[in-house]
Amino acid sequence: MNQSSELLTRLPNDIGGLPGQPVKKVDHVLEPWEKRCHALADVLDFHKIINTEEKRRGVEDLGSEIDSAESYYERWITAFTNILFQKGILTPEEFARKMDEVAARYAK
Amino acid sequence: MEHSTAVHVHSPSEASSAPLSYYEVMETAIQELLIQKQLIGAGDIRRQIEVLDSRTPALGAKVIARAWVDPEFRSRLLANGRTACEELGITFYDDTKLIVLENTPKVHNLIVCTLCSCYPRPVLGLPPDWYKLPPYRSRAVIEPRAVLAEFGTVIPDDVEIRVSDSTAAIRFLVLPVRPEGTENYSEEQLAALVTRDAMIGVVPATIDTARSRK
Amino acid sequence: MQPVQKRGSKAPTVFTGIVLAEGEAPIFEVGEHIRVLTRSPIGHYRVPQYVRGKRGVVEAIMPIRELDNEQEAFGRNAGSKRHYYRIALPMKELWLQYTGSPRDGLRIEVFETWLERN
Repeated sequence: MNQSSELLTRLPNDIGGLPGQPVKKVDHVLEPWEKRCHALADVLDFHKIINTEEKRRGVEDLGSEIDSAESYYERWITAFTNILFQKGILTPEEFARKMDEVAARYAK
Repeated sequence: MEHSTAVHVHSPSEASSAPLSYYEVMETAIQELLIQKQLIGAGDIRRQIEVLDSRTPALGAKVIARAWVDPEFRSRLLANGRTACEELGITFYDDTKLIVLENTPKVHNLIVCTLCSCYPRPVLGLPPDWYKLPPYRSRAVIEPRAVLAEFGTVIPDDVEIRVSDSTAAIRFLVLPVRPEGTENYSEEQLAALVTRDAMIGVVPATIDTARSRK
Repeated sequence: MQPVQKRGSKAPTVFTGIVLAEGEAPIFEVGEHIRVLTRSPIGHYRVPQYVRGKRGVVEAIMPIRELDNEQEAFGRNAGSKRHYYRIALPMKELWLQYTGSPRDGLRIEVFETWLERN
C-alpha cells in the first residue's frame, strides 16, 4: 500500500496496539488557558456550535505532524479555530486581527 | 470591519507581566470573538470552569464507598451508573452514560480510550496526562498486564483482565474490590481508600492509605 | 392495529401490528457471535483498526439508540439512530502473540453498521 494512503486510512490518533514506551505517570496542573479551553469545548457543545464528535474529527484533521507537535489543548484550540472557519462563523481575517489585538494588549 | 464593544476576557494572565503564548492568545481571541458575536455568553466559560472544578475523584470515591456498604445501591449502580450517581447528586452535564465495571476475585477491569481521552469526567474530574498520552493508550489494549505491572499491580493468570476501550457515548468507572480488614470502616473511611487510579483500574483499592494516596 | 388487552387489571395493553422504522429494532441479540467489518473509512471513524475483522460476542445492547458517530463528526447530528453494541473480544483473537492470560478480553462499543453475523 502506498505510504500516503496509509496516512488517510489510519487516523493519527488510532494507536491501539501499536508499539509504545513505558507509561510515565506524568500529570500537570492545567494552565488557566488550558482550563478555559476545556470549558470552551463544553460551552461550544452546549450551544450546539461544535459538538464533541466534531471536535474529535477536527483534531484528527490536523494531521500527524501537528498532532505530534502540539500539546493536548493546543490541538483543541487549533481544531476549534479551523471548524469555526469551516462553518462560516469566523473568518481568517477577523481571527488574525483579534490575535494581534490580544497579543498587543498583553505585550506590555 | 466589525465595531467591537471591547470584550476583554478576565484572564489570570492579566495579572502577570509575561507575554502570552501563541495558543493562549488564540484561546483568548476565539473566546472574545464568540462572545462579541453573542454566540456564547460572557460568563459561560467561567461558569463551566466552576462545574469542572467541582468534579474530582472524591465524587467517584463516594460512589464506590456507598456501593461497598449498600448492596441495593450497588445493584442499581451496576444496572445504570449514571442514574445511581445522580441519586447522590452527581449530575452529568453531558450526554454520556456510565457503565460501572465491577472487579471481583475473578475479573479485573481496566479502562482506556485508545482513540482520544474519553473518561468519566462528571464523576472523576479531568484525567491525568498519562491516561491521555500514547504509551498508555496504545499499550493498555495489547499488553494490559505489562502496563499494570508498571503501576505496581500484578494480576494472577487465573484472573481475567477486561479492558474497556471507550469509543462511543458510554463512559466507564471501575468498582474496585473492597479491601480486606475494612469491615468496621465508616463510609467516609472507605471513601478515603478509593483513589482515582483504582477507579481507572490500574491499581487496586488498598487499606494502606499512605501508599494509595494519589 | 389492534390493542390486545392482557388478562388482569394492571396488565399493560400490548399493541400488535405496529411497524417499526428502519433501525429501531436492534439487529443483533445478546450472546450472538459477530464479526467486525473491515472497510476503511477516511476522514473520521471510531472503530479502531485493531478490532476490524475480529470475531466476538455481543455482551450487551446499549439501550438508547444513538447517532452514527462517523456522521455526527460532520455535523449530521439529528435524525436516524441505531444501536451500539458492547462487544466482547478475546485478547487471543485480537493479537496473535498475546502473552497474558487466555481469559483476558476487550470490551468495546461498536455501531450497528460495523457488525455482521459470524
